[in-house]
Amino acid sequence: MALASGPPDSRPTDQDAGPLLAAFLETRENLVMFLAARTRSMATAEDLAQDLYLKIAAMEPQAEVRAPKALLYRMASNLMVDHMRSTQRATRRDGQWRMDTRMTLGGLDVVSEPAADEALVEKERARLLAEAVAALPPQMGRAFRLHKLEGRSQAETAEAMGISRKMVEAHIAAAVKHLVQRLRT
Amino acid sequence: MTSPMENLVSRDSQALAEAGAWIARLADEGVSGDDGLEFDAWLAAAPQNREAYGQALVLMMEFEARAEAVLAELVPADRGQTVVPITAARRRTAVGAWWAGAGGVAIAAGLAVTVLPAYLAAPVVTTYATDRGQHQHISLADGSKLDLDAETRAVVTYSRGERRIALSDGQAIFDVTHDANRPFVVEAAGRQVRDLGTQFDVKAQGHELTVTVARGRVEVAGTAGHGIDLSPGQRLAIDKTGVGRLSAVDPAETFSWRSGRLVYRAQPLAEVVADLNRQFVQQTEIADPKIADLPITGVIVLDNPSAVMARLSLMLPIKAVPSDRALVLTRR
Repeated sequence: MALASGPPDSRPTDQDAGPLLAAFLETRENLVMFLAARTRSMATAEDLAQDLYLKIAAMEPQAEVRAPKALLYRMASNLMVDHMRSTQRATRRDGQWRMDTRMTLGGLDVVSEPAADEALVEKERARLLAEAVAALPPQMGRAFRLHKLEGRSQAETAEAMGISRKMVEAHIAAAVKHLVQRLRT
Repeated sequence: MTSPMENLVSRDSQALAEAGAWIARLADEGVSGDDGLEFDAWLAAAPQNREAYGQALVLMMEFEARAEAVLAELVPADRGQTVVPITAARRRTAVGAWWAGAGGVAIAAGLAVTVLPAYLAAPVVTTYATDRGQHQHISLADGSKLDLDAETRAVVTYSRGERRIALSDGQAIFDVTHDANRPFVVEAAGRQVRDLGTQFDVKAQGHELTVTVARGRVEVAGTAGHGIDLSPGQRLAIDKTGVGRLSAVDPAETFSWRSGRLVYRAQPLAEVVADLNRQFVQQTEIADPKIADLPITGVIVLDNPSAVMARLSLMLPIKAVPSDRALVLTRR
């Protein structure tokens, strides 16, 4: 039986896979942090970093990459743009995300995550977070709510509030600072 | 003159202010590689920058994860007095619904006679099947589309009153042209998945069934009783014992097999190998049971089994050795 080319033992190592892969391994954590602000999910950011890794691992090892870090961030932001475009954005405001915790299906029990015994702790923590948001100055709180809780883009938030995008960004920046200061333990 | 302690506090607070600004800037749609490069330099500039950003990011992820619950806590404060008229309104609807219901029954009874001859038209039955390593794209007569994954068999029965697809073991993506008069029903793992105008993925393995919805709405029903409605981004997975689990997923991940990629989140290696063995003619075998449960998270590009295993072995303590029967996986 014919086997695919190359024994699997000849794995590329960091050195012979080129400077780009070496730069990736060095910058990986920063790249994930960079991606996570936009993806709003650590898991998605990790997946995109994994995608980037696969892309680089599949590339011809180049002898010389002039600015490997710049290339990495450019590739990462392109991957993110593609991901955001391809993902149908089922945000909370247009989807029916709230589900009952139990329902029946043809006489069977269907359980939806998370488990019911965690509900009390969850509720208490949600109340604390809500209090912190409610304590923000009104415009700042509204921007945070629209952008971070209802999942609108900064452009949509600016439009809904009748202010500029720069102003939304400034509100969000200040809100993040306030919230971290209030909620960190 | 400021004391060292005050200095420390103000440096910390400055880092946090900057971290907030980065969170806001990087969350914008227009974020570019240059922003990333600048961000990278900021992270490296001072250790407290990384720490502040980490704290801010973790809190934002928590807000994201609990957004529903936080909004629910916030909503009552916003509304206030608009609660009163509910009982009156509900009573009115109830009466209206009763009349509509009675009328509906009468109309349906009248219609039954006219509809009956439609059943006499002979349905058209076509069978499609894929083998190991094959995918098939099928355009059906009504404009609906069907993508079959490897080792999948679909029997399509189109009659005048209904479009019915029986899916035996395997996986398929359905892109359905909605027709209210001619429901589209997928039978899989002893259950029925009824489209309400939509795109969705069905995976059937023995008695296990997974349905993931990308667009529109889908109803999953058992043999008796009424079913569950699924919305975009929802997945219903029913295991062998008949217990179903609902979760919110990214449909693009489930649909990725169509573009030659598989996406896993902490799924055991054995499951990944089973999927690969459907995708490739060349088979892979796990020789060491201890590695069968290794969790896999990541994207697998389906080029060829040797290349896939070579990449996996970079991340896992495994080694792939070719034999004359299959690619054999052992612990490294």
